[in-house]
Amino acid sequence: MLLSLLLLIPFLGALALILWPGSPSSARLRDVSIVLLVMQCLASFALLLPFDAADAGLQLVEQARWVRAIGLDYALALDGLSLPLVLMNGVLCLVAAISSRTIENRPRVYFALLLVISGAVNGAFLAQNLLLFFLFYELELIPLWLLIAVWGGANRAYAATKFLIVTAVSGVLILGAFLGIAFVTGTMDFSLRPILAGELGMTTQLVLMGALLIGFGIKIPLFPFHTWLPDAHTEASTPVSVLLAGVLLKLGTYGLLRFCLGLFPDAWQVAAPWLAGWAAISVLYGSLAAIAQSDMKRMVAYSSVGHMGYVLLAAAAATPLGLMGALFQMVSHGLISGVLFLVVGVVYAQTGTRDLNVLRGLLNPQRGLPLTGSLMIIGVMASAGIPGMAGFISEFLIFRGSLQPFPLATLLSMVGSGLTAVYFLLLVNRAFFGRLAIAPGEVVNPRILNRVALREQAPAIALSLGVLVLGLAPELLSNLSEAATTGLSLITGDMS
Amino acid sequence: MTVGASSAATVAAAQRFQAAMPDMGASLLATQAMAAPGELLNLSLNASAVLPEAAVLLAMIATLLVDLAGEKVATRWVPPICYIGLGSSLVLLALQWNAPLEPSFLGAFLADNLAVAFRAVIALSTLLSLLISWRYAEKSGTPVGEYAAILLAATLGAMLLCGATDLVSVFISLETLSVASYLLSGYMKRDARSSEAALKYLLVGSAAAAVFLYGSSLLYGLSGSTSLDTIGLALQSSTTPLAALALVFVLATVAFKIAAVPFHQWTPDVYEGSPTPVVAFLSVGSKAAGFALALRILVGCFGAFDDQWKLLFTVLAVLSMTLGNVVALAQTSMKRMLAYSSIGQAGFVMIGMVCGTEDGFAAMVLYMAAYLFMNLGAFACIILFSIRTGSDRISDYAGLYQKDPLITLGLSLCLLSLGGIPPMLGFFGKIYLFFAGWANHQYLLVVVGLVTSVISIYYYISVIKMMVVKEPQEASDVVKAYPDVNWSLMGMQPLRVALIGCVAITAVGGILSNPLFQWANTAVAGTPLLQQAIALSSLKGLG
Repeated sequence: MLLSLLLLIPFLGALALILWPGSPSSARLRDVSIVLLVMQCLASFALLLPFDAADAGLQLVEQARWVRAIGLDYALALDGLSLPLVLMNGVLCLVAAISSRTIENRPRVYFALLLVISGAVNGAFLAQNLLLFFLFYELELIPLWLLIAVWGGANRAYAATKFLIVTAVSGVLILGAFLGIAFVTGTMDFSLRPILAGELGMTTQLVLMGALLIGFGIKIPLFPFHTWLPDAHTEASTPVSVLLAGVLLKLGTYGLLRFCLGLFPDAWQVAAPWLAGWAAISVLYGSLAAIAQSDMKRMVAYSSVGHMGYVLLAAAAATPLGLMGALFQMVSHGLISGVLFLVVGVVYAQTGTRDLNVLRGLLNPQRGLPLTGSLMIIGVMASAGIPGMAGFISEFLIFRGSLQPFPLATLLSMVGSGLTAVYFLLLVNRAFFGRLAIAPGEVVNPRILNRVALREQAPAIALSLGVLVLGLAPELLSNLSEAATTGLSLITGDMS
Repeated sequence: MTVGASSAATVAAAQRFQAAMPDMGASLLATQAMAAPGELLNLSLNASAVLPEAAVLLAMIATLLVDLAGEKVATRWVPPICYIGLGSSLVLLALQWNAPLEPSFLGAFLADNLAVAFRAVIALSTLLSLLISWRYAEKSGTPVGEYAAILLAATLGAMLLCGATDLVSVFISLETLSVASYLLSGYMKRDARSSEAALKYLLVGSAAAAVFLYGSSLLYGLSGSTSLDTIGLALQSSTTPLAALALVFVLATVAFKIAAVPFHQWTPDVYEGSPTPVVAFLSVGSKAAGFALALRILVGCFGAFDDQWKLLFTVLAVLSMTLGNVVALAQTSMKRMLAYSSIGQAGFVMIGMVCGTEDGFAAMVLYMAAYLFMNLGAFACIILFSIRTGSDRISDYAGLYQKDPLITLGLSLCLLSLGGIPPMLGFFGKIYLFFAGWANHQYLLVVVGLVTSVISIYYYISVIKMMVVKEPQEASDVVKAYPDVNWSLMGMQPLRVALIGCVAITAVGGILSNPLFQWANTAVAGTPLLQQAIALSSLKGLG
């Protein structure tokens, strides 16, 4: 019942917002949705109580028949892989709602869509039936499209449609593979069950897994399927960017672990070297492309491409340590990209630009944005993997876990990790250091930027605290998922 | 003038109907005379099977009578008469559900579950089309009485077609449907496009009817009988090239009726020119009748040519899905876009038919029912929009959300459902079709279906983008001058009921779709014709 609550609260909440009588103000709607998301967040943290971290199997199983004719069951369950992601979804959706202060255009629809997305993502992380997962995976499509298309920037229509079409293609590939899995194995129900070695020819397995890989690769996104992401991020408003990077991309990496690795362990092992190579290319491409950006948001978006590549690398290695690192990276990337997008959002709101060629000296303690700048530096350090932050733990785990099976790909990814420091230093150096100037040549009479109220920074501060806590006490997270990631790994006894 | 011309045509259709009746009786008797004398005695008239049709017929006659009393009386009384007629028809159909099977009219009609299901879809589509037409008819100055009578005549033909099991009864009901449809599409005769539509429809439709007759005559020559059962048996023993020729002719007619590519050319023009409520009926009711006919003839008669017609149907389905969905991308008129989308949707339904499995047929029935609600919901919205603005162009919908949230929400939900987005009804229908197709190894069809679904999402979404995403300052001139919503005008309340009903079922029906799935499965399970085909194909699969 607890798991259903994670769906019921957001979905019924969205309905309540739509049917809310009268014409409530934006602030009122925001308050209501914050209350709902706090409830959802509490419900997801309440999962920690009954959850048994030592058990690698499924817990809190909820099973009910839904549409028997097509093998669609309402089957939800929790394990060490989905729990951290559900928690992160709860936190980031709350952050997104809190930071949606300036929604004056159709706030009712905006907050309802936000709630629908958070419910759909919960559903996708908890679903134990392939079709049910697909249903939730597709359910989040139209709300996010609307969030970008209606509340986005100048070029939003183009970016939103690109996102929609590309993601729809990803959905079709995934559905095709799921149908294939159900019928080729002859089970006809869409329950999750690893395909055994003798059950299916390797070619078939590779074809089905390939369709899934491309489908989720679009969502993650991996090079060369990433082109929708920078556009979507650039046009999306700050809270939507936080959701997109923090939660929705994780659907892809979660799918990679749960369905590609989990259902096709044998085929995965065959494809693993290629996947590691793909990961290294994705990491390097994302990092190099990020260096070339002058728009802060695009830079952060390309850094996502690079950082999600680590997850593929670790998944390819499939060692217990690597998979733990992959999960850690998913969570820490969610928090770190949340901080970065929130800070970029504040900078954009204050200066009206995100262009690194224009921004200078924002860290100026009197007339700049000192707190924002500090938060940006924390986020950047965490992203670059400075020890003491969550990013370091995840990158260390991933590289340690994958070095043995794939030394070359890991070394290349490490280079990519070094490049993260390069482009983020460029960002901080250009935008935050130096003399404050709004436009080139305006140094003589610099404008004084407004103070940003502390409460507007609160979400970013909370997320940075999370990054620090996870960096200093990684066992908080690793204890939860160790059993699950070890159970998923293909190579045992490498926990050194 | 209009009254005279149309009534005359209706009468002509009715005369044609009556004139054909003795022929059918005679030919039946002739056929049966060859069988053992005892068998003929066993075949009773069993006229109760067509009681639902009788209800429609009575409503039609009552409508015509009321129409004699003048336009005012007609406007007052025609709607309730139609509701009662179609409502009681639906109740009678419900009573026939799962009833013991007895062929009626000496084997010319069979009320199996398949027939009941498709007749219910047709009767419901007429009911909904009528609900959304009153205001439209009033506004365009069309006499309500005869419009309703002709639509009921078309319904009568379509419903009889679903249960017809004899070439003669098939042809008569097909023609009743077609002639009434020609009249309907040309009903706004002051509009040149409507006349053009009617003429095109008449010419192409007559050619299709002639082709069907030729095919039927070949079948009669091959088997010496007009009964579909007997023909099916005869074809099994003689798979001659002549029979294949007959198959091609019959298939062309079926393809014409369901508007499958390349027999679709009439659709966009007819849809664009015809009165919108008529298009609503043509795109659902008429299409459902076409699919029922396809099942009766292709599955029932051409069992021996299983591979051949399935191959042809596969080609038709691939072409329909591809062309329908791709060409729809380029449309600027809402009705034309829905015309091409309906071609694509028919292609999806054909997947189920090609499968020939229990799930395949059930998915077909289910998708037809889902299509009924989502398509008529969409039509209710565009009729409401055109009543208020007189426009049908997609670009005129820009910024509608602010002026008319009901149309925006309703049309968005229906279009998302047509595009197969969860959790709408259309998603479940489409998944079931793909599920059945994949289970039957129709990989090509399923892959084409999946790919074209993505394409279809694009054009459905672009309408939603117009309505929802455009800001008030970007709104079209039509929307800027949008009249105030006034529900008290005559015919507006029924329109609202139909719109909200369709949209609600489309939106919630998916989540609660279990009864609908059971209904579709029972429809297939209670139809001996389909069961035989399923048994045959599974035997083939084993062998």
